[in-house]
Amino acid sequence: MSYYFAIVGTQDNPLFEYEFGTSKQGGDGQSRFTEQVRHLNQFILHSSLDIAEEVQWSHGQIGRGLTGGGSRNGRYLKCIDKFFNNYISCFVTGGNVKFLLLHQPTTPTSTASSRSSTAIGANPTSPATEEAIKMFFMEVYDNWVKAIMNPFYKANMEVRSPIFRARVAAAGRKYL
Amino acid sequence: MAASKASRIGEEIWKTRIDKVNAELVTLTYGTIVAQLCKDFEDDYPEVNRQLDKMGYNIGLRLIEDYLAKSNTMKRCSNFRETADMISRVGFKIFLNITPQVTNWTADNNSFSLVFDENPFADFVELPDDGRAQNELWYSNILCGVLRGALEMVQMQVEAHFISDVLRGNDTTEMRVTLIRYIDDELPPEDD
Amino acid sequence: MSSLPSSASTGKESGLRVPSNGKTIYHRPINRTKTSELSQASFAFLFSEMVAYAQKRVKGIQELEHKLNVQGHSIGIKLLDLLLYREPARTQLRPQNIVALLHFIKQNVWLHLFGRQADRLEKSTDAEKPDEYMIIDNEPLVNQYISVPREMSQLNCAAFVAGVVEGVCDGADFPARVTAHTVGEGEMWPGKTVFLVKFRSEVVEREAFLAKS
Repeated sequence: MSYYFAIVGTQDNPLFEYEFGTSKQGGDGQSRFTEQVRHLNQFILHSSLDIAEEVQWSHGQIGRGLTGGGSRNGRYLKCIDKFFNNYISCFVTGGNVKFLLLHQPTTPTSTASSRSSTAIGANPTSPATEEAIKMFFMEVYDNWVKAIMNPFYKANMEVRSPIFRARVAAAGRKYL
Repeated sequence: MAASKASRIGEEIWKTRIDKVNAELVTLTYGTIVAQLCKDFEDDYPEVNRQLDKMGYNIGLRLIEDYLAKSNTMKRCSNFRETADMISRVGFKIFLNITPQVTNWTADNNSFSLVFDENPFADFVELPDDGRAQNELWYSNILCGVLRGALEMVQMQVEAHFISDVLRGNDTTEMRVTLIRYIDDELPPEDD
Repeated sequence: MSSLPSSASTGKESGLRVPSNGKTIYHRPINRTKTSELSQASFAFLFSEMVAYAQKRVKGIQELEHKLNVQGHSIGIKLLDLLLYREPARTQLRPQNIVALLHFIKQNVWLHLFGRQADRLEKSTDAEKPDEYMIIDNEPLVNQYISVPREMSQLNCAAFVAGVVEGVCDGADFPARVTAHTVGEGEMWPGKTVFLVKFRSEVVEREAFLAKS
């Protein structure tokens, strides 16, 4: 299971990017994206921004979302898009900045697939996965608020703090 | 006056005689002032330090009245050591709800440090990562000006500057305050 | 410098030094100062210096108001996320429509800044102006804080608060222009102030569209 996480500003400009792999089921936390896929990831995330925009303003019905409305709260939009085996989950901050997480479930060729089928990530739209991603987003949000409270932080500025990065990495290890 | 007595006075005034506002409103307002100065002076940090000191000086000139009215201490401090205790335990207490440590006295009792364990101005702050701010900007420099202005109004000419700041990666935030001279002799006699 | 930690940083992004205890803004709980208080006088002194400084660098009152608006704006953007973050999880909703947004400002923002809610919300009764709303404060607390000349102070203060409101609106993607107007009401409310929130037309259009869908 590999993850690509990006924070995108209100002008659809990237503010932060981080790539990691699962730490669950003995995962080593390393992503397994190839160089080619990396470029594709950015493209996929970017193209999901329109859907995020659409979903964020819709009330009950989600246009092209993969999971129903129901208990969805205004900021965590759950899984909003799918591109082949890539799933995209989204969280929108009060200031309209988007947290996007692209996740690729383990491919069936993996030897561990049968055992890990109930694990987080094996089923990208299961409640357990959605809850884990929500926890990840909430922890990133906590750090995000700290970053933007800084009087020197201006809207749509990149976040380059290594401590912020370490905190995102820790949240990834903890929940995903 | 003993330091412990100054502490009691400060606590008492803070509890009973001070109108209060949300601390974060003050923190955020100070933050926008510093950010605006950095913008106006194009990140010329030494100039920003000067501007902050100047603003502080203006504040100090007016703040002393408020301080004297609230603290009801018409009596002049008997020496500079007592002044230092009053600054920390009454002055800082009633305006910023903190009591920086008074320490590192010189042998002649004319110079001491204020060490800040807490600094409400600096909550939420990380200096710009531009390779210069951490070497050049004294984020809370307004406080130096406040002391300078306020003490001048009670006939003490002092020099105050920061020598370390946790925002710069130092382990403490420390301000050095030095008495230059008492200026009573310049007062017209009837003011005595 | 001597304080440079030995573990210092590798890579381009890590230029900042941190104290040896490693404490940074990210280690500080967001709610640590949620209920902390400082003296009103400290705010008044800072605020009047901010006004005095701005006055020296502008020509005329309009430019001054603009400058104060801008300084309030940056605070509004920050408050939006800070206050949403602090809501209990169930109500941690992004404001999805104009009324929800204005309620958030009237309640959360006012409570945080001034210790009480604003007095009233009103929609413009003028059918020609569906984009205009009013937040009404009978007795803006900020007026008490000020020690600059009376006739200017009210204007100045309110412009700063209008900037905060505008920052919250813009941040939440409800772009608006917010101005403050003193509309004193006799002896009862001499300082009564109306914050006029004029949303951009696309906000009103979006609202109408979303209401239909």
